[in-house]
Amino acid sequence: MSGTPVPRRLKREDFETAIRRFAQLLDAPSVINLESCVRCGLCAESCHYYLDDGDLRSIPAAKLNLVIRVFKRYLSPGGRGLGLWLGTRAFNAEEAEEWIDSLFGRCTLCGRCALNCTMGINIPAVIRKGRGVLASLGLVPDGLSSTVELARDTGNNMGIARKDWIETVAWLEEDLRTEISDPTARLPLDVQGAEFLYLVNPREPKFYPLTLTAAAKIFHAAGANWTLSSDFFDVTDYAYFSGDNDTAALISGRAREAAEKLGAASIVLSECGHGFVSNRWEAPEWLAAKPAIEVKSVLEVVAGYIRDGRLRLDPDRNLKPITLHDPCQLVRLGGISEEQRFILRRAAKDFVEMTPNREHNYCCGGGGGQLSMTDYAVRRRSAGRIKSEQIRRTRAAVVATPCHNCLDQLAELNKHHKLGVEVKSVLELTADAVVLDGDGLRGNSPAL
Amino acid sequence: MSVLRWAVIAASVFAAGALTTLASKALGRGRLTYYSPPRSRASRGIVYALGRGLLPSEKESARLHLASYLGGIVYHLGIFASLAILIVLVIDLRLAPFFWWILRAFSAVGFAAGIGLFSKRILKTPSRRLSVPDDFGANILVDVFLACALTASLRPSFIPVFFGCSIALLVYIPAGKIRHCFFFFLSRILFGRFFGRRGTLPARTRSHEG
Repeated sequence: MSGTPVPRRLKREDFETAIRRFAQLLDAPSVINLESCVRCGLCAESCHYYLDDGDLRSIPAAKLNLVIRVFKRYLSPGGRGLGLWLGTRAFNAEEAEEWIDSLFGRCTLCGRCALNCTMGINIPAVIRKGRGVLASLGLVPDGLSSTVELARDTGNNMGIARKDWIETVAWLEEDLRTEISDPTARLPLDVQGAEFLYLVNPREPKFYPLTLTAAAKIFHAAGANWTLSSDFFDVTDYAYFSGDNDTAALISGRAREAAEKLGAASIVLSECGHGFVSNRWEAPEWLAAKPAIEVKSVLEVVAGYIRDGRLRLDPDRNLKPITLHDPCQLVRLGGISEEQRFILRRAAKDFVEMTPNREHNYCCGGGGGQLSMTDYAVRRRSAGRIKSEQIRRTRAAVVATPCHNCLDQLAELNKHHKLGVEVKSVLELTADAVVLDGDGLRGNSPAL
Repeated sequence: MSVLRWAVIAASVFAAGALTTLASKALGRGRLTYYSPPRSRASRGIVYALGRGLLPSEKESARLHLASYLGGIVYHLGIFASLAILIVLVIDLRLAPFFWWILRAFSAVGFAAGIGLFSKRILKTPSRRLSVPDDFGANILVDVFLACALTASLRPSFIPVFFGCSIALLVYIPAGKIRHCFFFFLSRILFGRFFGRRGTLPARTRSHEG
């Protein structure tokens, strides 16, 4: 069995404490989900892991039932008395190892199984509770736990120092001015009372600065009043993947504090699937408070600019056939499915859909914290075969996706499965098509 | 006979009470309201989850396992028909022969579907490996219930046996997987609400068709 071994230091009392933590994590929807599975197994082929390896442990119901069998033993009426009959299990080191391997190592929390469950069980939500129990024991795989700790301790998941962030923003601003020959172009920092605070994935300043300048170019062309914050810029919240709600709340809370400090009217999230779900949908639940500031995806904002006629795009600037990968968190679990299509159809000449797509799309394999968990890298790349085959069938030359985890995974799949495509973010392609004043080119009208 | 009849009623009250207790305990754990503002209407998602969302056109899993999916539907229709036979016999209701034959037909095909699903669970490796004793036991108990309902509807002398079997089933319902008969509706409603308010379901486009 691959994955993080359960340390010998853990004693029986630790597992008893974990069960108490499990009980605390269980809300009404979780219990209803845990009481509903009939083990019909119809969910099997909805999981890209099972489609790839055919391992019975990869069937969503099998992963779900790891949690169910412990839940029934300790927390469901009648479970202890009918233990053998109901297939319950004691929670101990051996069981925890199975949990780690399956709940962390065979699941991206993509939610495709939930859509295909006859009972309507929110399987990723249950898996996440299981991860939360493991987190309470300190059993989150190393790569993921260190990413969470870095974000918790430094304010962003790459540990970028404030000084470096400020310098990078200044450098990118210069870069943008040169690129579009406009000295008024800006990457504004700490502007009070802006229309929105823009949060980015730390991968952008660190490895993909072009996606940040792409966003800035689009905002500049649309005449947006926006700002970055020197205090906090990280859209990600990997504690969502580790199942540690307390840390997740702490990280998401910082985004709100930064926006409130600057008096921004809203928070706009860069292209990040789990960042969107964390900040838009889950943070209010973790913080147990209705958000005072609206949280939006950058795709909603850019689509709005196009509709309002604030942004003109020339599709002739993206002539290669482009397909779109739907990030599971953003689309299936986040509800943002049409904006990216609306944008790409105006930014590119030849847009072709994958099949299946939108909420039925297959996970690329990079979600759920998989990219940070090196223990499961081989499995992750292998499971990405399903996505690779989907891409190949489109015959597209470019794969666009509005998520940085997906971008990284797709770039790896591109090499591993020899796809021969370019992988780009939606904003990069949009920025390439932006028509600026003085370009002398015909851009599309909102009616197009 | 009348003692058995009262015993069936008592078992029904026990089952309903136990299921209600289980459900209220579950619901008592809270978090039934959301703090995040909805993107779309939860009610649309709930209507979808309890209606169109159950169809094979909406579920790849149902399309890929059409025989199991249809078998499950027929099985449950048979269970409802057998429950109707139980109610009719317990309260000694007079039914027109036409209705009797409908109930018998559903019970019979439901029984056949139950045997089919049981066989699949035993014969197919993924299903067998996923199963726990409760899965087999519950299936056998329900299959016997369907067979007894059918027989009792044809031979009145068999009614005491049917009542005995019904008591066993009703008492067992809250203990094992048959709990899902109650939780199914709660689970589907929560599913619809979750995806409905996020704006994912019902989908605006026939997405799986590309």
